[in-house]
Amino acid sequence: MRLYSESSQETLRACEFLKHWHNDGLVGEEQYQQLKQETVSDLRTTNIFLRLVLLFFTIIAVAAIAGLFFTVIHASQSDSANGVCFLVFAVLATIAAESAAAGARLYRYGIEEAFAICSLAFLCLGMDLVFYGRTVHSAHDALFVACGAGAAFSLWLWHRFGLWYAFAAAMIFTLFLPAYWTPSHAMQRGSICAVYAAGLVCIAAIRTRHRFDYLEQGYSLAEAFLWLGIYLVLNLKLTAIDRPSDLWDSTSPAWEFAPAFYWTTWVLLWCLPPLILTRGIRLKDRFVIAVGILTTVLTLITNKPYLGWQRHTWDPMLLGLALIAVAVLLRRWLAQGEGGVRNGFTAASMSGKHKQAFGVASSVFGLIAPQSITPAPQQQSPKFESGFGGGSDGGGSSGDF
Amino acid sequence: MTMLDRLEIWEKEGRISPEQQALFAGLVREDPFSLSLELNILLYAGVLAFVAGLGWTVSTWSQQLGDVLIVLALSLLLAASAWYCSSRATNWSPKETPAPTPIFDYVLYLASLVWCVELAYLENRLHVLSGQWDLYLLATALLFLFLAYRFDNRFVLSLALSSLAGWFGLTISQWPSYQSGGYRRYALLYCLVVGASGAVLQRLKLKPHFFATYLNIVANVLFCAILSGVFDREDYGLWVLALLAACAVSLTWGLLRRQFAFVAYAAIYGYIGVSSLLVRNLRDDALILMYFVTTAIAMIVMLVLVARRFGREA
Repeated sequence: MRLYSESSQETLRACEFLKHWHNDGLVGEEQYQQLKQETVSDLRTTNIFLRLVLLFFTIIAVAAIAGLFFTVIHASQSDSANGVCFLVFAVLATIAAESAAAGARLYRYGIEEAFAICSLAFLCLGMDLVFYGRTVHSAHDALFVACGAGAAFSLWLWHRFGLWYAFAAAMIFTLFLPAYWTPSHAMQRGSICAVYAAGLVCIAAIRTRHRFDYLEQGYSLAEAFLWLGIYLVLNLKLTAIDRPSDLWDSTSPAWEFAPAFYWTTWVLLWCLPPLILTRGIRLKDRFVIAVGILTTVLTLITNKPYLGWQRHTWDPMLLGLALIAVAVLLRRWLAQGEGGVRNGFTAASMSGKHKQAFGVASSVFGLIAPQSITPAPQQQSPKFESGFGGGSDGGGSSGDF
Repeated sequence: MTMLDRLEIWEKEGRISPEQQALFAGLVREDPFSLSLELNILLYAGVLAFVAGLGWTVSTWSQQLGDVLIVLALSLLLAASAWYCSSRATNWSPKETPAPTPIFDYVLYLASLVWCVELAYLENRLHVLSGQWDLYLLATALLFLFLAYRFDNRFVLSLALSSLAGWFGLTISQWPSYQSGGYRRYALLYCLVVGASGAVLQRLKLKPHFFATYLNIVANVLFCAILSGVFDREDYGLWVLALLAACAVSLTWGLLRRQFAFVAYAAIYGYIGVSSLLVRNLRDDALILMYFVTTAIAMIVMLVLVARRFGREA
């Protein structure tokens, strides 16, 4: 059962809409004040900055309380005893999160979220220590139990509190589960994909009932995460974290996996992005569209290492040109439609919210690029370091400055 | 009751007009669906990827292609971008002005980044400035500042401010007897210069919407510089006073102007600085943890009071 009632969340959503329309000048001051009276929710919310700061300090307080407990009682006799203490802390943190949300009606306030996050951390630690402490169980088993419990509890938090990142946490915990029943990396990846795909089917079935209501965004994010998860698990080059160099200077496909599996994933990597994009466009789902775009770019980036082809220094230029061309042509095509709209899509900005967000983002992202091109302090023998990852032995070329 | 139901009720009760109801229902359903954000991100990523590849190619193939060809190609690209911007630019206005074309901001950003690549190439290959990187950065910062104000571009403004920071840093690193403490004083000078410039330009009503960018950069650089002084084992007294003063100013500004990022800066940076000072000489783990328990709870209480008072108005 969800912690917040439907009416509370819908009212809160109405209040948010009203505020944006007022900021965009679509609702006059008098009308805004009048309608605002009808969108008063019983939930207490705050702005993003105070939410983050409250989250930070609550996590510090809870972690310090747990640390103080173990320091004062010197609970180091056995791992099992410490594990039980952590499980008790998990229960207490869950109760605190529930009280903050149900009693104090805190909603995305930072405090109840911090308690929920801490309860998840304590649960995993507790499970790990309880099972690891018993001699009949190996560390391998303990990790499986901890991750299994973490995945299940994260899903519960996601459902109960509606915290989107709890769903992502559940997906991450799931990644570690298949290693328990099979040592084969191919089987592990296949199992994870099967779990994510099952989740995708469930979410797709459920979300049809929540079109345009307060749950739509949550399900949209969950679906986007699942698509992204499936893609990342299937992309053997991108997630080969034990050999990141493969991504840049691979000249022959790695045969750690059976050729059939390897080439199947390559085919799937080309099939998934159009599938995700099509689904996102059909549903008009911003998060799924974003994942579709991201996976398309990632497929283009990892295709050469996949095929064992040589990389060239101008590959990023071609990718950049392709992205720019797609953006310009799509914008132009949309703008040529009647009223700048084609098939329900437009290139025009419909909300000041996006404009404001992009204004802030442009200031932040503008700071990122110069770090790449600002030269290092003057050396004895001048040497051009572009800082773009070039100058290394990428693409079989040699830096010749 | 969904938002669409609510809109219908409001329309029936006469609280909103039928036109408003149709408009708002379209916005709730996202009909038409705006791809503006996605297209802007694609353009930004495209420009960054292009310049990354350009820098990589230029640095790798300089000997094979030759200086003349590379400089010519970079200059042509720069000239084409500059021509596009100058030919499409609208008349200058001190107020916020929309970009004349959807890709205008990105072409200007591309031109700025290509300028950096070309200058770096010229300096490294031909030593045009005889190793005076700081002059190159100062000139670049001033150029970017001019472009940002001329064409109302936040991307380029951020480039200008970070180039100026680079100039301060590089200048100090070339001094024969500089110490890390020197950076701190010059970080403060940087904050003073940038903050004062931003304030004056805002007072003169020259692109006043840029002021938030100035303030956020100045606040973060200032707090980082002060914190590094507080972390020092010696002569940290003045830095502690500076930290407290900066926190007070940031908190007051944030609350008065409803800019809660500054409240967050004051809380986080202030807590880190004061905690490092109080905890550094403690050896008892229980005492240290007790400190964190009590102070974190005190901070939560204080922030909840702030949140209650100023709530959601961000």
